[in-house]
Amino acid sequence: MHIQDGYLSTSVCLATGAVSLGAVGYSLHRMKDSLGERTVPLTGMMGSLIFAGQMVNFPIGLPVSGHLMGGVLAAAILGPWAGCVAVTLVLVAQWALFSDGGLLALGANVLHMAVLGSIGGYAVMTTVRKLLGGGLRGAVAGSVVAAWLAVLAASAVFCLEFRLSYAASDFDFGNIFTLMVTLHALIGVGEAIITGFVVSVIYQQRPDLIDMAQPTDSRVASSASRFAAAGLVCALAVAAFAAPFASELPDGLDSVAERFRIAASNESTSGLFANYDQIPIAGWQKLSVSVAGIGGSLAVFAAAVLIGRAMPMNSPTIATEAAGE
Amino acid sequence: MSDFWDRYGRSVSICHRMPPVLKLALAISVIVAGVAIPVRYWPAYGVLGCLVFAGHSIAGIPLGYLIKRLLIFLPFVGSMAISLPLSQGLDRGWDLMLQIMFRGCLAFLVSLWLVNVMPFEQLLVTLRKLKVPAVVVAILAFMYRYVFVVWDELDKMRTARKARSFSGGSLWFRWRTLSQMIGMLLIRSLNRAERIHGAMCSRGWDGEVHWLDDQD
Repeated sequence: MHIQDGYLSTSVCLATGAVSLGAVGYSLHRMKDSLGERTVPLTGMMGSLIFAGQMVNFPIGLPVSGHLMGGVLAAAILGPWAGCVAVTLVLVAQWALFSDGGLLALGANVLHMAVLGSIGGYAVMTTVRKLLGGGLRGAVAGSVVAAWLAVLAASAVFCLEFRLSYAASDFDFGNIFTLMVTLHALIGVGEAIITGFVVSVIYQQRPDLIDMAQPTDSRVASSASRFAAAGLVCALAVAAFAAPFASELPDGLDSVAERFRIAASNESTSGLFANYDQIPIAGWQKLSVSVAGIGGSLAVFAAAVLIGRAMPMNSPTIATEAAGE
Repeated sequence: MSDFWDRYGRSVSICHRMPPVLKLALAISVIVAGVAIPVRYWPAYGVLGCLVFAGHSIAGIPLGYLIKRLLIFLPFVGSMAISLPLSQGLDRGWDLMLQIMFRGCLAFLVSLWLVNVMPFEQLLVTLRKLKVPAVVVAILAFMYRYVFVVWDELDKMRTARKARSFSGGSLWFRWRTLSQMIGMLLIRSLNRAERIHGAMCSRGWDGEVHWLDDQD
């Protein structure tokens, strides 16, 4: 899932790195307000946990298996800012220990998983929770929807970065976008189910752990910024579905990419296949995006309902009591 | 587990004895060169490749280990790269795919070299020297210390699960069980974090990170 070095051009890596650096710097600044002197042990332990939790393989009936990514989970426990920092440091440690994820591409990975995942995911999560009125159902549905949207948004942003990294003649943007977003709509369902289950377990056992940052951090809850962030994530997700239908978007991107390329003097791969005319497969991409969108949304909401119902582990009374308070 | 990651981090060679900042700078410059050099200057890639392998052999990292790690890495970079020609109806994008895979592998080998000549604790000290905020380095150090503890906890839970003959079931059931395991692990870890926090407080922790080298 990580972007490795070599996927994106140096200039795009630097640009995403600058954005991530700003976001993480701001998160560091805000983190202390919410967690105080508990910052280091809590954030560090959350990081270790995500690190270890990613080692649990989830079978999907194929030779490959999925795992937790954890951006939304970290935000659900620690709040957006400390969650962002925790995921960022997980990514740093994964590079430094596994050489997984690349050094130049670290900025892009942080942007996708920590900034979009934790900060954007948190915004979506709290919005959904507010709409559903709290309680177990709100917490689970919020985390499920946020986890799915975060994966989708990350894939859409990755496609844009990829587009800006290479010359337009090398590939058809619409096609790669379709494939990536369709795939990630499915991957996102997995992430959403895992996050939903984990959140519901925690909610039933230790409801106080969900959103520890909330009571002391009043500024996070300022609705304007939250709606802005939620709007951003939703817009990205909508863009993901709408992009194949809107024919102007690739053109607009082309001009941006041209400007980028002049600045970065990126090469066009003059390869074996560059001169071939592209065979348009017009039908399948619109269809598959629609199917992915509708199917994915349905699956996510079904998962939210099922997870909310299928968790009679033990002591549901504690959960209802806590919800009642 | 750590034995597998930086197995050769404690051996002795010129690469290991280099100043840490120099190692970091070397690795970054080779990765940047690998990503930034256009394909038409392909001989430069040969030079970079030779440089990387020379680095590995001077550091005493055996070829078998590199191949083993590459075999784990290749499916990841490959699955992403193959989506390019797949999405283009298999008639374009192959050259871009090869380019991505080659650059990816090169950068991966460079990272692997860095990991194996620079143990994590040395990276922490280097980050501190490079004026990374103290709280970031402290969290990273904390993570590195406790990831093994959390790991052991996870192993215990796996053993317990096996001892109770957990196997099979529907996919939904298995996902639920595995997620519950992560959830319980999270609760246990955060409980541990609270205990550690208590222990830190009783030893005078006030939220500020103090480093021994700050007094110099």
